[in-house]
Amino acid sequence: MNESLINPFSISHPTAVQTSLFATALFAKFDPSGRYIAAGRANGSAEIWDLETRAPIRWLDGHVKALTSLDWSRNSRFILTSAKDWNVVIWDLASKSDPLQRHNTIRFDAPVASASFHPRNSQVILALLTTGDAYVVDLRKEHRSRTELYEVLEESEEEEPSRPGMTCARFDPSGKHIFVGTTAGSLLVFNTRTKTMIARHKISGAGTMKGLEFSKSGRRLVTNSSDRTLRQFVVPTYPHPSSIPPINAGVNMKMAVDGEEPEPGAIDEQEPGAIDEQEPGSIDEPQQHENQEPGYIEQELEPTHRFSDPISKTAWHAMSYSPDGEWLAGGAADPAGHKIYIWDISNDGQLASALDGGREPLSHLHWHHTKSCIASTTIHGNILIWHCPSPERWGAFAGGFEEVDENVEYEEKEDEFDIEDAAVIFARKMKAEEEEVDIDTGSEPVAKPIPGGTSADDEDIAWAEEEPDGDDKLGWAMHVVMDDGEGDDYL
Amino acid sequence: MDVQMHEVVLETDDQQPIHNAEENRPRDPPLKDSLVESTTPVPILPSIQSPDIPVEIESSSEDIRPKYRQRYLLSGHTQSISSLKFSPDGSILASSGADKLLKLWDTYTGEIIHTFSGHREGISDIAWASDGEYLASASDDKTIMIWSLEDRSAVKTLIGHTNFVFCVNYNPNSNLLVSGGYDETVRVWDIARGKPLKVLPAHSDPVTAVSFNHDGTLIVSCAMDGLIRIWDADSGQCLKTLVDDDNPICSHVRFSPNSRFVLASTQDSTIRLWNYQTSRCVKTYTGHTNRTYCIPACFTATKDKHVISGSEDAKIYIWDLQTRQILQILEGHRDVVLSVATHPTKNIIASSSMEKDLTIRMWFDE
Repeated sequence: MNESLINPFSISHPTAVQTSLFATALFAKFDPSGRYIAAGRANGSAEIWDLETRAPIRWLDGHVKALTSLDWSRNSRFILTSAKDWNVVIWDLASKSDPLQRHNTIRFDAPVASASFHPRNSQVILALLTTGDAYVVDLRKEHRSRTELYEVLEESEEEEPSRPGMTCARFDPSGKHIFVGTTAGSLLVFNTRTKTMIARHKISGAGTMKGLEFSKSGRRLVTNSSDRTLRQFVVPTYPHPSSIPPINAGVNMKMAVDGEEPEPGAIDEQEPGAIDEQEPGSIDEPQQHENQEPGYIEQELEPTHRFSDPISKTAWHAMSYSPDGEWLAGGAADPAGHKIYIWDISNDGQLASALDGGREPLSHLHWHHTKSCIASTTIHGNILIWHCPSPERWGAFAGGFEEVDENVEYEEKEDEFDIEDAAVIFARKMKAEEEEVDIDTGSEPVAKPIPGGTSADDEDIAWAEEEPDGDDKLGWAMHVVMDDGEGDDYL
Repeated sequence: MDVQMHEVVLETDDQQPIHNAEENRPRDPPLKDSLVESTTPVPILPSIQSPDIPVEIESSSEDIRPKYRQRYLLSGHTQSISSLKFSPDGSILASSGADKLLKLWDTYTGEIIHTFSGHREGISDIAWASDGEYLASASDDKTIMIWSLEDRSAVKTLIGHTNFVFCVNYNPNSNLLVSGGYDETVRVWDIARGKPLKVLPAHSDPVTAVSFNHDGTLIVSCAMDGLIRIWDADSGQCLKTLVDDDNPICSHVRFSPNSRFVLASTQDSTIRLWNYQTSRCVKTYTGHTNRTYCIPACFTATKDKHVISGSEDAKIYIWDLQTRQILQILEGHRDVVLSVATHPTKNIIASSSMEKDLTIRMWFDE
């Protein structure tokens, strides 16, 4: 609400550090509402800070080894933490128990590198282990399962073809697909509901994929590779999975014969040539896994932009899009300082500015979900909150004054100094007051829709929304815990 | 129907618009001076000719005159009652007074639930947290105390003001408290820690009212210097100042439910609705008396759009929001009506008074 009163011409990317939180954090992430920030620590605990009071309000103690990632559910009610102790723990922030108890624990057989919630239902979780395997765990009663995501490989004579390990895995903002980066530098796309691979995109020149991030709308994707370059892609649209027939290879052969190949999806004009379209693979199916859906797309993707540091070729630790997708912030893995580069996507990817955060090198970065605000974590554990500082407008202290950018020549009206009958002025004032005023619209919070459509249109979305998780915006509120005055010494 | 009302206003010789009033039925006999007859015959208001016959008048399609009737008389305070607030779910009415006590009453039965004591001087204002679990009270002993309903005791004392604390309010998330006082500052507090977060050098005279808007991003404050200021809650910067020509002492200010307007009561017996984006006063409500005390005005939260205020002539005035006509005047109190409160979901008004009449009256319109 206050944006209209503050200078409307401000640049919409942060430029200065507003505050630092001394959190001993390895990484920090904003919650979708933007009121809290959760920090994961090396001792296995997570801390939630309230940004309005700039103080920690909740402590999540459930792991015995350092945290590797954390994720918020869409209305901030649930948090998921993954750690090197082979576990993923889900916490319910609406619970009033103090200290907060675990809501759910998922155990794996290797350290968990990262984990995240499905954007529509926090009971569906994607987890990536350090061994290079990715799992989709479904905690709902009717769908309880744990499925491993397998990359479909070319036919080969060996018994166990060596699969490239998976290094990063993310849901796309609609939740319909899971994108996975591999050590071979390719991007795999799986359908969340069927858990089958529907596409593989080779990215030329990229080494191991170290990270990937989506813009809020889900239309753009940026990848971080071991060749120290950030690549931005336009996310292709994938055909509905039912148009790729499942399972039976025989059926598939028939399809191939008919020449009815599935559409390769929206090809951007920017992608020059090089579209390797193979027949929907494995007609000879030496696949080990019987349920493999042979129909997938093989396509090389060309990035729209490449971002790298031309001078010192530093690698990148993290990247994050702004809420409107206009800016991309990249945190540089510069050992000597804390550098954040901001590129202007709407202006053809030009470097807009390089923010300097002081001496402590950066380890992580996250852009706020709604505001122009970035949280960057230093290796010493401090979280720097960056904002756009608005200069104080001293003219606001005097009523009736308006600040203008340039001098305005005032033209006096003919009747400027006429003395009017007080009654006429009064009558005119009363008449002006007849206009209706609306004091109610705009007071109800509007829930932001999740991109990708509604459950009416799409069975993938309908599947995801079965057995909702109880995380609605209106249904819960974070309980304010009164400090007894002894809590200051907590770690 | 509306058009006819306009004509009534403009054709009169007086400067003041005519207010058509309907008496409050069962309590006291209608006082002749408070009934004003219009000079032009207005067939739509038969009550003016026969005031003793209760007639439900439909002055416009949506606007039905309210018929509040007193139901409960709550007594217990031993000195003037300064503030009344309904809990967020409407089940409890909290009252505070110069007798240093905070009392909780059941809205639907009028029974007293609890009395909190602990302040060393009289209490000027109270506020409920949005979950209804905590109450904050601002007192002349320069502190703000936070009371827990569950524990039935005080849980925190906020110290920082250097003079009487006059007004207090929670933000919608209930993790911050804003207060203003005679030390001319507005302070924002972190409740969980009980520490002040910001001190805004807000005014040059005692601050009489502070509150947050519905999403907690803005703070509005008004003071005896006649200024209404709007502040950014996050940075503490002043965003706007609203001032009318004469600088009358501003006794109360609050945001409208959608936070686009600000309702301000001033001690020239006027209540104004300001659109602060354009700095224009869009509505004016008059007819009551307010020259000495800080009497709050509020909106009704139900589908009827009324503005309600107490007055120094011992009456409660109800105006229609859009037409600014007085729709009902509630009589019964015997001293200045210092505070009014409206129920969040039902048509219930609570009002309280001063020394000569130490009662809280609850008016229901069913």
